[in-house]
This record gives sequence, C-alpha cells and structure tokens, in this order.
Amino acid sequence: MKQNRREFLTKSGCALGMAAIATQVQHFGMMSALAQTVDGSNAPSVPNDYRALVCIFMQGGNDGNNTVIPIHSDASLSNYSSYSNARTASGLAIAQNALLPITVPRMNNLSYGLNPSLGVVTGGINNGMHELWAQGKMAIVTNTGTLVKPMTRAQYQANSVPRPLQLFSHSDQVTQYQSGRSDQNSFTGWGGRISDRRTQADNPGGLVPMITSISGAQLFTAGQSTLPLAINNAGTSLSSVLSPQGFNTTAASQARLSAFNQLRAQDLNSDYIAAASNITNQAIQANQALSTFQEVTVAFPNTSIGSQLKQVARLIKKRADLSVNRQIFYVQIGSFDTHTSQINGQGTLLSQFSQAVRAFYDEMVTQGVSNSVTTFTMSDFARTFNPAGSGAVVGSDHAWANHMFVIGGAVSGGNFYGGNTSNGTPFPTLQMNGPDDADNGTNARGRWIPTTSVEQYAATLARWYGLSDGDMSIVFPNIVNFPTNDLGFMQP
Amino acid sequence: MRSRKSRFWQQILGAVLVSFLLMFPVQAQEEDPNPDSPTPILLSEAGSTRALAAPSESIGQTNLSKIKSGAFSANSKILLFVSNLNLMPDEGANAFRVNVEDAKGRQYRFPVLEIMPVKGQNGVYALTVLLTDELKFWERPKFKGDVLVSLAWRGLVSNSLRLGIGKTGGIIKNDVRAVSTTAPPTQIDKSENSPNPTPNFVGYYYSADRTRFLEQATFGPTPGIDQKIRRLGLRTWLNTQFEAPYPTNPYPNLILMPGNATDECRATLNCIRDFYTMYPVQTWFYKEAFYGDAQLRHRTAWALSQLWVVSGVDTQQASWMFAYHQKLSQHAFGNYRNLMTDITLNPAMGNYLDMIRSTRNNPNENFAREILQLFSIGLFMLNQDGTLQLDGDGKPIPTYDQNTVNNFTKVFTGWTLCENTALCPNRTAGAPNYKDPLLLNQNNHDLTAKTLLAYPNAVNQNLPAGQNGATDMTQALDNIFNHPNVAPFVSRILIQHLVTSDPTPAYVGRVAAAFNNNGSNVRGDMKAVIKTILLDPEARGNVKTDPKYGKLREPVQFATNLYRQFNVRSFDGTTQSDGYVNQIIAPMGQNTFNSATVFNYYTPDYIVPGTALNGPEFGILTTGTAIARANFINTIVFNRIGISSLAPFGTSIDLTEMQASATADASGNQLLDAINTKLMHGTMSEQMKNTILTAVLAVADTDPLLRARTAIYLVASSSQYQVQR
Repeated sequence: MKQNRREFLTKSGCALGMAAIATQVQHFGMMSALAQTVDGSNAPSVPNDYRALVCIFMQGGNDGNNTVIPIHSDASLSNYSSYSNARTASGLAIAQNALLPITVPRMNNLSYGLNPSLGVVTGGINNGMHELWAQGKMAIVTNTGTLVKPMTRAQYQANSVPRPLQLFSHSDQVTQYQSGRSDQNSFTGWGGRISDRRTQADNPGGLVPMITSISGAQLFTAGQSTLPLAINNAGTSLSSVLSPQGFNTTAASQARLSAFNQLRAQDLNSDYIAAASNITNQAIQANQALSTFQEVTVAFPNTSIGSQLKQVARLIKKRADLSVNRQIFYVQIGSFDTHTSQINGQGTLLSQFSQAVRAFYDEMVTQGVSNSVTTFTMSDFARTFNPAGSGAVVGSDHAWANHMFVIGGAVSGGNFYGGNTSNGTPFPTLQMNGPDDADNGTNARGRWIPTTSVEQYAATLARWYGLSDGDMSIVFPNIVNFPTNDLGFMQP
Repeated sequence: MRSRKSRFWQQILGAVLVSFLLMFPVQAQEEDPNPDSPTPILLSEAGSTRALAAPSESIGQTNLSKIKSGAFSANSKILLFVSNLNLMPDEGANAFRVNVEDAKGRQYRFPVLEIMPVKGQNGVYALTVLLTDELKFWERPKFKGDVLVSLAWRGLVSNSLRLGIGKTGGIIKNDVRAVSTTAPPTQIDKSENSPNPTPNFVGYYYSADRTRFLEQATFGPTPGIDQKIRRLGLRTWLNTQFEAPYPTNPYPNLILMPGNATDECRATLNCIRDFYTMYPVQTWFYKEAFYGDAQLRHRTAWALSQLWVVSGVDTQQASWMFAYHQKLSQHAFGNYRNLMTDITLNPAMGNYLDMIRSTRNNPNENFAREILQLFSIGLFMLNQDGTLQLDGDGKPIPTYDQNTVNNFTKVFTGWTLCENTALCPNRTAGAPNYKDPLLLNQNNHDLTAKTLLAYPNAVNQNLPAGQNGATDMTQALDNIFNHPNVAPFVSRILIQHLVTSDPTPAYVGRVAAAFNNNGSNVRGDMKAVIKTILLDPEARGNVKTDPKYGKLREPVQFATNLYRQFNVRSFDGTTQSDGYVNQIIAPMGQNTFNSATVFNYYTPDYIVPGTALNGPEFGILTTGTAIARANFINTIVFNRIGISSLAPFGTSIDLTEMQASATADASGNQLLDAINTKLMHGTMSEQMKNTILTAVLAVADTDPLLRARTAIYLVASSSQYQVQR
C-alpha cells in the first residue's frame, strides 16, 4: 500500500487526476486575466528576470522603540539619554554598550543601535542581521504606520484629518497593514491586489499562484480574483505538503481518486461549496507541480520563522519548474504583544527573527538571487514608549508608528528612509507628550504619529516588483494622499 | 412609519408563527410547526424571464399587467414583485436579499428598503430595491445591460430573472433558475403547514430538518438522539436540554500545581502531560462531545469559548482551563451578564489578558480593550439587526476611543490571584490559585473618576472617584452589558457558530430582540437566545436553497459529526473512545483550546476569498488545510487511532450499518441512499450521486466494506458535505 510518491505518480500517470482537474481549475493566469481585461489594460510582456517579495509579519506589535535606539548623545535630537530616562527605571531600557551600532548617513552620520538580539547571539547558527547594515543590504524605514492622509500632532488632536479606523487595536491595525488602506475595511490585501494585476503578465504559465503563505490564510494574500498557495513550513517536504493520502494504483483506488477530483466541479451554485472546492483545486494542482523538490544549501534555524523561510527558499529554488517569474511570500513570527516580560520575550523573538532572516539572505546569495529577492517587515503597530509595569515583568502597550526592516541585494541599504518627523529627521522625538506623540497631557504614553504611511512603504516595494504607475492607485487607493509613492530605499 | 406598518401587518396573512418568540414552561410538550417556509417567487413579465419591475414612484399602482419593465438607471429605486411568502409579524425588508449577477459573473447585492403588499393582489408584495451594490466587493461596478436578479429569504432562493440596468439586453444568459412566473400568484395553502395526525404520536416528522437541527445544536446526529427528537419535538427537547445534568463525564478534579514544575513531577511518568498541558482538557472535551447527554450545553460552551478566548498557549495548567470552562458551561444557559462577571474574575482570563498584573501605577489595557472589542460590543455602532450604523458621510461610527479604553483600564486595576487563606477555599500552598475568582487589592486600584461608554440612556457612564474596585467593576460591566450593541454583536456571532455564516439582518434582529428581552423583561437570558437561534425560520427547514446559506464546518465539528454519525468507539470496538483525537484535528487548523491569539482560530468577520460573504471558518481553510481535511477523512475511514500511552483505548468508527447497505444491494444505490440521508439529509445532487456510484462500482461487490469506505470517503471529503447547509 505504501509506496514512494514519485513511483505512484509515474505508475498512475497522474493524468487521471489532471484530466478531471483540467475541466474545473481556473488557471492561475486566466483568473487574473479576468480582472485585467475588465479593469484596464496591461500589455502583457513577460519579464525575463525573477523577483520576489517576502513579507515577514511580526504579529502582536513589535516594540520598535527597543529595536532601533539612539546611541549618540547629540542634544539637538533624541539621544540615548532621552531613551534611558524613559525606560531605565522600569527596567525596560537596554544598556548603551549592549546596542549594536549602525551609522546613519541620513541622521548626519550619527550612531544608532540595534537591539542586541539582532547580532551574534548565544546558540546562534550565523552572525544575525546586524552585519547586513554595513554591507548595504539592509535599510530601515522609520516611523511608519497606518494613515489615511499625512497628519500633524495638532491635526490629530483636533481630529481635523481623518484618522485610521480603530488605532491601537490589534485586529484592525493588522488588517490595515495587510490591506494597505486605513479608511475602510477591505476584503483584499495589497499583496493579493498586486497578484490580481500582475499574475497574467508576469506568470502566464505559472503552475502555482503568484502568492504563497506559509502561515495560513491571511488578508495580505487575498485578492479579488487570486488566492494564495498556503502550505506548511519546512517541517513537511514540498513533495508531500499538499499530497492527499491513502490512494494507490489499484483500479478501485484510482476510481476513487477520479471521483474525488470530479466532485469539486459539481454543485458550484452554492458560493460556499464553490469557494471550498476552489481552494482544494488549487491544492491539488499545486501538488502536481511540487512533486519533486531540492533541498536548500544553507542551514536554517530550527524555529517557526526559520522553518517558514526555509520553505520559501525551497520554493524559490524551484521557481523555474513552477514557471513563475514573480512571487510574493508571506511568513510571520509572533507573538510580539509584550504587555509583560518584554526584555526576554522580545529578545528571544528578535533573535529568532534575525537568525532566520540571515540564513534566508545567505541562501539567496547561494542561489544567486539575492539581488532578486527583497525581504521586508510589517507589524501591527509599535508599542508605548512609556513602559507598562516594571521589574522583570515590565512590558509596553499598543502604540502606532514603527520601524520596518528591508533586506536584500536590491535594497539601497545602510540608511534610514521615510518622511521627516517634527524634528526634521526621519527618527521621532522620543518624548512623552512631545511633538510626535499622539497622546496628550500628563498621562501621555508615547505613541508616535507616523510620518510614512504603510501605502508609501508598500508602493515602493511594489514598484520595484513591477507594478506599473497606472496600477499604483488601483492597488493603493489612498496613495494619492501622500507626497511620494517611492521612498527611495530600492535601487532603481 | 412604524404604526402604519403595524396596521398593515395586522391586516394580512393569518398564518403567523408567533410561537417563535414565546417562552413556554419547561414541562409542557410544545408543538413544532412545519419548518419549511414557502419558496419566494419573483414575478416576471408575461411569458418572459424579465423581472416585473417599475420605478418606485409607482408604488400605488395595482394593475401589474400594465407594468412594462424597461431599463432602470443605476442607483435608482425600483419595485420588484414577489409572491409566495408567509411573513411573521415585524418581518420586513431586512429579511430579504436581492442577489445580482452581471454578464461577467460578478456578484452584487442590492439593498431592499421596504416591502409593502400590493393592493388588490392578494399575496403579492412590492419590494422597494435600491440599484446600488452593497457588497462593494467589486469597485465601481458599471451596469450596462441585463443582470440576473434573485431573491433570498430564510435560506431559500427564488427563481432568477433579468433586469435591465442602463439598458436592456446584453450577453447575460439565463441561468438554471430562470423561470417565467406571471401573475396571478399562487395563494399559500396553509393546510400544508400541519401534517396529518397519526395514531402513534410523533413530535417532529421532518427527518431532514431533524438532522440539520442536530448539526446545529449538538456535536453531530446519532440515531438515538434523532429518535428522541422525533418523539419529543424540537421545543420539548430543547427544554430538556436546558435542564440536563452536565457534564456526563465529570470534569477531572486536578490539583493546582506549582508555577514551575518540580523535579519530582518532571521525573514522574505523565505528570507534565497530565497537569501542564491541554491534553486532559482535550480528551475530556472530545469524550463529552462524543458521548455526553447535555449536548446543547457542551456545544454552547464551545461556541462561547471561541468568543471569550483563553488559549492553552498561555494557560499553563489543565486545571486552569477546566476552571475556565466550568464558568463557560455554567453560564451557557444562564445570563450573559453573569458570564461577564465570572470570566472577568477568572484567573485564566486574568492571566491571559494581563488583568492580574494591572495596577493603578502600572496599568495594562489588554483586558479593557478586548472585553469591549471582542467580548461585548465590537468596534462600531450597530443597529439592532447587526448592520452598521453610518454617519452623515456614510462612515461607520466607532463605539469607543483610546480614552474609553484608558478609563476601563483604570476600572480593572487592583485584582490579583486569590492567595488569602481565609478567603480562597481552593488555595494550595506553593501553587498559584487559578480556581478561585480573583481578589481585589484595593491599594492597587485606581481611585480616580472614570468615564465609560456613552450611549442613549447609558448606565453608569460616569463612575465617581474613590470607589471600591469591586463596585467599579460591577458598575462598569453594567455599563458594557447595557450598551445597545451587545445583543446584535453577541447574537450574530452565536448564529455564525451554530447555524449560518452570513445571517440576514432580520435573523440577527430576531435573536437580538430575544437577548434584549426574553419575554419576561430579562436581558441577556442565554436560553432565550439559544432557543431563538435554533428555532428561527432561517435556521429551520428540510432544505435550504439560497446559494449564500450555510457555513463551512469548523474542524472540530467536522470531526465530531462524522465520529458520532458512525458510532465512535474504541480501537477494538468494545468500549468507548478515550477522546484522544486532537492530534488528527489540529492539522486542519484548529488545535483545540490552543488558539494562536485572543482572536480565536478565525475571526467572525472573515470574508471568503473571491466573494464578499462572511465565512469565519474559511479563515483556516487553505490549500494546506484543505488537503489536511481529506487526509483526516482518510485516517478515520481507512484507519483507526491505535492504543498507546496517550490513548489507552484508541478510537475507531463503526461501518457495519453502511457495510450492510452495501451488502444488501450490489447496485450500490442503497449504500448511496443511506449515506445521503445520514450525512447530507437527502440533498445530494444526482450528479454527485452518480460520480460516487461510479467509484463504488469500481470496487468488487465481494468487498462491501471497501465499497462503504469508498462512498464515505468521497462524501465526507467533499465540499458539498464540508459546507453545512
């Protein structure tokens, strides 16, 4: 009964299954052709290179205030003292000499520091992300967050400019990061909408959807006409990750497999049945494409995020077999919702993040595609500059603008990017009730008002990926509210 | 407006189903009406598949034969005409949905603004319909030509007809339901509503609806419970369930263990597993789902556990989760207000959302935010039918802001685990007390005044400074509980868990009304809420035809329904299963009592990809878990769960009945019929039946067990079964 899967496919010819599927599966290219011919025209010219975006979502709201920290003592800007004055007493501050220094041209070459977990760590399998800054392979987009329009502190407090819906709420802020708009709820994510616009043009013969999630269904990956491939992490090999079990080569078993496939073309007048069958169809079709796979070269950490990125690396290695020229991936790491015990909690998560990202970058170098693959972060929101609690259990609460990482050979690395805050630089003034704090009065907690919108951040990535100017406002309906849709952190 | 409508309702339709909202004493045998609503009929022009339609200004016009339906402008208001309805008192426009499909296959929905009877045309109603898409899935729809419209009501769909928008004509094709239906309309034969009495008293004849009901009210139908409902009827059975002792398998009485497991425990076989993991909770939960008598309470508690979420990810000990579940099950048929108190003061929740660490000097807003957003009122002001209230710019209206959260955060400061020997009966030296309710340390309570939720006639909107923490909490929970959002918010989520993912506003409104007032001026009576959900005409009926009706079975229900349908038992079939099944359910995306976040395994607002429909359970249906579902079926149909240290008895299903059907009839038809009845309450399409039959007949008739397995695998793994309708 048990047999090698490849042997099974060869024996059964897999044509039986495919014949049934062919009648019902909407080809991934065709599906978005529907969207495109209806909504506008994209002259199809298949790209001759490969590009991929890899989104790492830091679930729960990573505390950016303890991720990128001023080391310098320049009194004209927020410096290490501004930070330690607010966070040392409660036990939330990281010692100045523990920070991993980075020099920032945009900040007049002042020194900033990364959380020590982003460098060499005990038990690590590589040197972490920190080194990539000096190599020019990593940029930080500062003070980024959900916005409907640019907004000053006075405008926020007077409520004279529309605010994003339900600031500081996990589910809503996650939704807005992933959907790419903050003025209304959206059924689709910005990754999904890019896929809607680009699948037909970029991956006309693609055997898998343009988007893959290694973390289940996500709004980010949902388009109007495209669905993501969602598979397990590298704990499961690509060849068995979507393989239905229990079939063999007997006539009876093959008849059952055939019926199993045919049933998904039936009773589609029910929307729910059609949706469920469509998802299963995609799985079966992708399974055919993934039946062979090659292992990656670089060692990945044995963590959830490590295993997710390893699976992404495997898929990228198979890109030619899968006939894809453009891909978007979604992975996530959590939980950064550190209301309590943040020092250890965030430290552990950041080191997992850093180890995995570095392994992934190194693997891309090995595969020769490091200039073609750009990894970037998103997170629900930042956390209050003012700590929550004190001592060993000290944490922080929900806030707003945050710092994002972008990594890859195509990144103009080693610098801060994004709009200027009240102090004329892209780094916020670290002061409760200060000029960048959304909060007001003596109880202000330090929730920075973003000076770069999620849309600007995303659009810069999307432009590099190949989204046309004409499609920019379709994928990001509110991008027109902002001064630029290119923050400059990607090489032209 | 209101009084005119009331008079209008009094004038029409004698057959009213008033019993739905009335409560009866427990002892009485209650009668169940015919569950089937009539199927609405959209009227067409004579001899055509074009909908009879008129501008809304012609509302007074009664001579339908004079109407000439041309093309209408987008965004205009028109009348459509419908017959074959049997409306309840106060059942109005929000019970109807006009579904629209254009030539490109895109789906839209037009709001129904009003329904009025057409004078002189008995049984015909005019629906005022606004030709503006309300789903908003497709941006900027352009209508240029005919679209197909159909009307959904109580889970039933009408015929579909053409409607010209912008102009008539175009390339849209009639679909299978396009049927010309010229007046005169049919009059409802009310005699059909009561089946002929038979000598042997049967409480509930409707076998297909019995199965549907059991899918909604239990962890799956069994022959025994089906017989009981057949005899007692739905209403009487519900009343017996409200009183049934729970649980059948007692909660394991686990002692509280130290926060750090001792070396002794680490060295003792199974000590970590039995005290520090969710294993005992999961096995107890599944045994109760498989064999418990108080199915409805277990089911309701399970739904509540997905609303008031506490996860094993942060809940260290099984005893903590049991203490939590006891509160859920205790209040499942109690009052929502008491549930709010007991969960707020439950240590597992206190730990999960940090309230036990929130003090006036170091406040933590986690619980304050989530009790508002997730457990009671949600983010936006709702109408009583669950639809969003909109401001003048068409934007939703937030229920609260950060300032409100800050004030509730202050309210909930000062509570700790109960570690006072005199006051805490379950306190165990050396172990944190997660059994007794939290205890107030007034010194850590924020004494400033608090400004809470504002709403019309708000209860306790302002709490004065200096109050005791317990008083603050009680008054603040009253402030939340009396917010008008609670009824529609909670009602909609419970409907989604039990019956259908995208209920009509009318259905939500009927349940919310029961939440607001159980008939005896009691707010929050869960029995009234559950009863109303399960007896509503949108829930009941032998068949539901609306393409947008139903829900994807969550993995837990998917598994327990199949297990119960096939007489789940131990590995060797000699005794009960031990309930060790989570390990084959978790890969489908639902690791029981281990939700990844406080947002549950899926959000109630999840939109099914490629549609604008709510479908919470689709949040965990991916290419990966879709295959996991098929593989789960493979495991239970072709294999068993063997005996191991984790599974003292193992688990298997019993296929003798299906095997007998396969043996009795070599044509396979009897087997197919048996499975169709059992799993799909007779709704299997001919096409599906033939496809499965082909596979069954590929198995030699000398192997009836394999024939049975083949058929069950194919039905159970199909989307047609996985979507519960």
